[in-house]
Amino acid sequence: MENKSKIVIIDDEEVVLDSCTQILKGGNYQITTAMNGDHGLKLVREFQPDLVFVDLKMPGISGFEVLENIRELDPTVVTIVITGYATVNSAVEAMKNGAYDFLPKPFTPDEFRLITQRGLDKRRLVLETIALRREKEMLREHFAAIVSHELKAPLSAVQQNLFVLEDELSDKLTEEQKIRIERMKSKINDLINLIHTWLRVISVDVRKIQESFKPTSVTSIISKAIESVQSHATRKDIELVSSVNEPLRLVSGDEGTLVEALVNILGNAVKFSRVGSKIFIKAKEKENDLIISVSDTGIGVSPEDLPYIFEDFYTGKTDQVNEKGRGIGLAITRRIIEAHNGSISVESELGKGSTFVIRLPVL
Amino acid sequence: MNVQKKLLIIDDDPDFVGGIKSILEKAEYNVDVAYNPKDGFQALQTKHYDLLLLDIMMGRGAEGVSVARKIRKDPKLREIPVLIITGIREQIAFLFPGQPVHPHFVEIDELVEKPVEPKFLLEKVGALIKMSEEKKSQA
Repeated sequence: MENKSKIVIIDDEEVVLDSCTQILKGGNYQITTAMNGDHGLKLVREFQPDLVFVDLKMPGISGFEVLENIRELDPTVVTIVITGYATVNSAVEAMKNGAYDFLPKPFTPDEFRLITQRGLDKRRLVLETIALRREKEMLREHFAAIVSHELKAPLSAVQQNLFVLEDELSDKLTEEQKIRIERMKSKINDLINLIHTWLRVISVDVRKIQESFKPTSVTSIISKAIESVQSHATRKDIELVSSVNEPLRLVSGDEGTLVEALVNILGNAVKFSRVGSKIFIKAKEKENDLIISVSDTGIGVSPEDLPYIFEDFYTGKTDQVNEKGRGIGLAITRRIIEAHNGSISVESELGKGSTFVIRLPVL
Repeated sequence: MNVQKKLLIIDDDPDFVGGIKSILEKAEYNVDVAYNPKDGFQALQTKHYDLLLLDIMMGRGAEGVSVARKIRKDPKLREIPVLIITGIREQIAFLFPGQPVHPHFVEIDELVEKPVEPKFLLEKVGALIKMSEEKKSQA
């Protein structure tokens, strides 16, 4: 059997309490009664009812106060006011303040049963809504963990077996075949990383990093970011030239994500620069901001693409790019910078190059 | 020659198990496999193993964690070194919010990510077994 619905009835007339209890007798209810507001509130606290009937006119604390207290205690409790015909106006007033319905005296047993049922239905809906909302929130938060497992598990298994194949066949494979296996491994690895990044965008609230903000040195962020893209740049014979106007004040931030943000911009600059060119990274203080800029002389962004490049999954319409991005790096970068109360902007000319400017408030 | 070391893998993904099992067997380990936590724990109780390779995300969630907890509670089993193999590091962080990524389920354990390079896997397995033997000889 289902749990019994818990009902509290608060009314100063004993005859009302008795008859109400009598009417609901034999139903699937657990009923307690109180003859004044104070006692009623005590019951509400201890008993944690689903539904409370409150008489508006009682000696001692008024029905209105009782309603207000219940709402503070637990806003999900459904309240119905009991009132005489003369006080219908105040019943309406009570409903404006959160009571679900009102029951005018005198009432018939059928009327009372009906309104009880309606009140309990309402309570069920309220609880269901809360549960669904919580579930939705949890699902969103755990989405990355759940889905990435489903997506990554088969890929990991494939990769694991590739590792083994390569190992077992190491003395039989030709150089060409080894390169093929290398390529497969690297593609699968890209795919695993891609799943990671996409799921992060969908499910992670980047503002959470604010909880772990510390005084952070932009100089160290820049050198770490350069280190991370250096080998890609060297392969393309691109020189990374950095000039930092020391001393720089610190910013309040999360070093890991700030490095990630800058790596995304530098990585793009390297990707879209011509072989043998230079990329300039500058940092300086301007009033109460730190300005970090990254300039390249690469392919640039067309004016029609420019307004959208910080949006999710935007990869550009003008398809003249050999190395195409995933359209997600800059969106993540923007979110990270905005979580740091900063801003990011870009100026670009097609065929001439781009300059990205990050502005972060100093401590 | 050294006595062959006995390892147990608990992982519900046969394809992944196939991949690491052959690496370990090629390195002269004797390898048993259990494809669910229940069989795995039973195997641990009935046979002696020198090391456990434990998957975390099994069945309907992080069932590997409950295996680790059971091992920690069992006075006979808690000595066994455990190599935790998991899909992503975030999963561990998500199960233990606010804790460091490596939760130290049992006394001697290490955490590696799937997929794992053969050389790296063998290094970790070797190091854990060595660590646990040194600990035993001191006792």
